[in-house]
Amino acid sequence: MQIDIEPYIEGVQAGNRLLLARTITLIESTLPAHQQAARSIVDRLLPKTGNSVRLGITGVPGAGKSTFIESFGTMLTSMGHKVAVLAIDPSSTRSGGSILGDKTRMEKLSVDPNAFIRPSPSSGNLGGVARKTREVMLACEAAGFDVIIIETVGVGQSETTVASMVDFFMVLMIAGAGDELQGIKKGVLEVADTIVINKADGDNVLRAESAQKEYQAALHLLMPQSPHWNPPVLTCSSLKSTGLDNIWQTILDHRNKLTACGELAEKRRSQTLDWMSFLVNEGLRDWFYSLDQVKNTLPLLRKRVEAEQISPTAAAAELLSILEQEKN
Amino acid sequence: MSVHPEKEKWEAAASKLMKGKSPDVLNWKTPEGITVKPLYTAEDLEGLDATNTLPGFAPYVRGPMATMYAGRPWTIRQYAGFSTAKESNEFYRKNLAAGQKGLSVAFDLATHRGYDSDHPRVAGDIGKAGVAIDSVEDMKILFDGIPLDEMSVSMTMNGAVIPILAGYIVAAEEQGVKHEQLQGTIQNDILKEYLTRNTYIYPPEPSMRIISDIMSFCSKEMPKYNTISISGYHMMEAGANSVLQTAFTLADGVEYVRAALKSGMDVDTFAPRLSFFFGIGMNFFMDIAMLRAARLLWHRLMSQFNPKNPKSSMLRTHCQTSGWSLTEQDPYNNVIRTTLEAMSAVLGGTQSLHTNSFDEAIGLPTDFSARIARNTQIIIQEESQVCKVVDPLGGSYYIESLTQAIVDEAQKIIDEVEELGGMAKAIESGMPKMRVEESAARKQARIDQGLDVIVGVNKYKLANEKIDFEVREVPATVRDEQVARLKEIKASRNPIAVEKALTDLTNAAKNGGNLLEAALPAVRARATLGEISDAMESVFGRFTATTRCISGAYASEYSDKNKEVIDAIRKRCDNFLEKTGRRPRMLVTKMGQDGHDRGIKVIASSYADLGFDVDISPMFQTPAEAAKMAVENDVHIVGASSLAAGHKTLVPALIEELKKLGADDIIVVAGGVIPPGDYDYLYDKGVKAVFGPGTPIPESADKTLQLIEKKYIQ
Ligand code: B12
Ligand SMILES: Nc1nc2c(ncn2[C@@H]2O[C@H](COP(=O)(O)OP(=O)(O)O)[C@@H](O)[C@H]2O)c(=O)[nH]1
Ligand SMILES: [Mg+2]
Repeated sequence: MQIDIEPYIEGVQAGNRLLLARTITLIESTLPAHQQAARSIVDRLLPKTGNSVRLGITGVPGAGKSTFIESFGTMLTSMGHKVAVLAIDPSSTRSGGSILGDKTRMEKLSVDPNAFIRPSPSSGNLGGVARKTREVMLACEAAGFDVIIIETVGVGQSETTVASMVDFFMVLMIAGAGDELQGIKKGVLEVADTIVINKADGDNVLRAESAQKEYQAALHLLMPQSPHWNPPVLTCSSLKSTGLDNIWQTILDHRNKLTACGELAEKRRSQTLDWMSFLVNEGLRDWFYSLDQVKNTLPLLRKRVEAEQISPTAAAAELLSILEQEKN
Repeated sequence: MSVHPEKEKWEAAASKLMKGKSPDVLNWKTPEGITVKPLYTAEDLEGLDATNTLPGFAPYVRGPMATMYAGRPWTIRQYAGFSTAKESNEFYRKNLAAGQKGLSVAFDLATHRGYDSDHPRVAGDIGKAGVAIDSVEDMKILFDGIPLDEMSVSMTMNGAVIPILAGYIVAAEEQGVKHEQLQGTIQNDILKEYLTRNTYIYPPEPSMRIISDIMSFCSKEMPKYNTISISGYHMMEAGANSVLQTAFTLADGVEYVRAALKSGMDVDTFAPRLSFFFGIGMNFFMDIAMLRAARLLWHRLMSQFNPKNPKSSMLRTHCQTSGWSLTEQDPYNNVIRTTLEAMSAVLGGTQSLHTNSFDEAIGLPTDFSARIARNTQIIIQEESQVCKVVDPLGGSYYIESLTQAIVDEAQKIIDEVEELGGMAKAIESGMPKMRVEESAARKQARIDQGLDVIVGVNKYKLANEKIDFEVREVPATVRDEQVARLKEIKASRNPIAVEKALTDLTNAAKNGGNLLEAALPAVRARATLGEISDAMESVFGRFTATTRCISGAYASEYSDKNKEVIDAIRKRCDNFLEKTGRRPRMLVTKMGQDGHDRGIKVIASSYADLGFDVDISPMFQTPAEAAKMAVENDVHIVGASSLAAGHKTLVPALIEELKKLGADDIIVVAGGVIPPGDYDYLYDKGVKAVFGPGTPIPESADKTLQLIEKKYIQ
């Protein structure tokens, strides 16, 4: 069945919530026909994209990401911004289904007419959803949202994928009992544009401040990504809405600095190129694994590798030789 | 005493009866994790914390009073309230005339949550699940002809406790009754609201201050008044087993004691006025033992505060039979269930009791169903002769041993709570709620498999259900009446006096000062409940709960034998994904002020286990908010769970709101306490399926899937 993409394009550009939501569904769909339609839609929307502040937020479960977005997003809409939130929810169960509860932590923002929140099930495949997130982000931009926040959980590989599609990447932390640097991978800190210690409230303020110092010291040891930006370590309380304006100021500051020296434009350009090669790789892989011969050979080879009848290298070579045959 | 000399002979005899198997195979592991054996002997009494104690003496296992029911039976206290103050007042007076002893007021959900009846968020809630109270004028009508100097009045109020308690005091003043004459109980137990009952207004910190303010005001002005009723009942109804109920309730109690001590009170000034409220379920002996265990544990827990007055560590409790155990199917069976539960409460030694009506799972009690429920207690008191002996089960090998088992298991959980820093911190961490919800999901799975029998629901089902009795329906016009009266009051009062009183209250909230005391002038000046609540909310803010959802518990409770039922649904979800590009996606939502979330949590968690993607909305949505969420998340289907009689207003409104957003293709289904007589009304409005109480999860999931499959898989 041919999907008529015109209503989607018009609807998204007119800021229609329903059609934006349905465009996202097409983008996220696993059906080739939907994906194709989605590609055409996003292609046509491209001229209207690129005008938002793109923020990525990661942190371990319970760090307070959703709560942060609730308070931070509400602050932004009250300043006149239109905020879209894309939440990648990893809570999938063994059945493949998931419970998407993010909006229960974003009670005010979710009913805010200037906010759009879309939680996406990861279906156990964080990479997969993250792949689509970029296109979803573009659709939101075309619909007129000028701040896009992508929430992703800091376990798995999704956070680096997210970092590679946003302007500003923020790691949310909580002051733990001593083992501050545990739980979050060093690679994530390397791509962070700021680290924020959340829950700096009540009897936790002092601990948050000492965590702040520790992270500052830790970050000093890392090579900054940009000569124009030294990632600061900030504190906030998402619950009490303190420190949030400072974070927004930091984001704008980052934006101004990187725009002035041309680095932001460069960053986005190289993100697009990376994105393209990412898609090519992904496409190649999907195509390869969809070949009948691969589908037939792979299980047998796996068994033989397991039984140590053949070396992994030899098995891989045999599998890849299928490509040679395809060429002819 | 050691092992019975002939125990081995008994074992042999038992084994012979069971074709050689050891009697151990008859052991039963209860949901509490306690192993119950088929036989108890004197050996089981050894080493118990308390045997051969006396009633009225520490540790009070056998009851708080020396003579118990032999001296005076428990108070028959039926919880009721609906519609307007006038209608509820008539209902109370009839019941009192027919043998009920104390009053117990049930407020509607708008009142509970601090909204006046004209507030836009409560359009579907007025008078539906309790009586609507907007001002002291309503309060006066509610108690018209009921002398407040004589009648003990219990009020279930937690969120809007300041305006309601102040309203009661002023209504009494205007009856010519002095503060110190007032007797009764205010529930005023906010911790369990965050945990299970969901009628909180402010965040925990100011709410705890309100409790201390009430305790301190009443300890001076209303010495006969119970300032708090620490409640486990709601935990049980939300899914807690008897050990969880005992542990969390007593831990709540300890938290309140600490709060009061911190505010500078002496333990003996308030502790004797602490009262408790337990729920009694269908595990007959378990809940007898639970009440005994709770008394022992409370005495133990209170000793850390070194009270001088023995009453400070004596647990007195109200009980209610379980509404959850009552079924919509074959509902007269509920009379029998309630009788058993009432007996359990009585044998456990309760001080007062509410027995549920047989139409519990259908609607609020009618005159008829309320009469049967009341008579259940009267018959036990006046015909069965069980009142003649104090703690008649004292010394029973089984009961004493079970009492100890509950004490031990509950103590472990209390220790866990203490480690988290007490109950307030524990609730913040989400631990108690997750435990309760896990327990509820497992229970549901056992019922759905037929492992736990419920007659009429999963065994001995009727071929044709039919309702041959009156069902109470509160008309939507109650809202109009309340709104009109609000207008009248606002027109006839002195606006300057109201303004000043409310400003004073706000200042007290900001700067300290007793909030109950500060609210009295506002009530006297005819400020409304909503205004008084707002005056404090402007300082305290409104609390929003963190919803956490457990996953996996429902499916994991399925035995291998029964797994195929859920595997079949999982397969269909996978197939749906393959055909349409995504999983069936459902938003489950609660609209209006209805805080019953046990059902929706069970649905969310089990449907995810079955392969759905389930979006769960925050509580207390308006239809427009739920529609916005459905649209943004682009779900296939919205499931509205409605238990507080808002379904005829809220669900059609949701369908309208979806239409406004162009999303009329999103399927709407409803579940919860919806009287069968209302199904056609909902179908007419576009609801595609209705799932009433007792619907097995696989059954509703199957129907829901069918609806989606039909639409999206050609
Ligand atoms: C448990 C319970 C409570 C607990 C709630 C705990 C909690 N956190 O949920 C407590 C004790 C706190 C409570 C309090 C009150 N309750 Co109450 N409560 C009940 C009770 C006994 C059982 C409800 C229940 O949880 N059942 C178990 C769950 C699993 O079943 P369920 O929700 O019905 O869901 C099943 C189906 O309906 C269906 N389903 C439901 N929703 C959905 C959604 C979808 C999408 C699908 C597919 C299926 C589906 O599938 C589920 C599985 O079978 C009912 C009576 C009864 N027996 O039904 C009264 C009842 C609902 N309560 C009632 C009242 C009045 C109150 C109060 C308002 C009293 C007051 N005035 O203070 C308070 C306030 C609560 C509040 N904040 O709203 C009344 C409502 C009257 C009416 N509708 O006309 C009832 C009917 C009792 C009565 N007859 O008086 N209550
Ligand atoms: N005290 C405090 N608690 C917070 C704060 N932010 C979040 N929380 C709590 O931390 C828990 C987890 O928050 P959530 O937003 O769900 O975390 P996420 O998993 O990272 O999205 C919730 O109970 C929040 O109420 C904060 O700033 N202060
Ligand atoms: Mg989150």
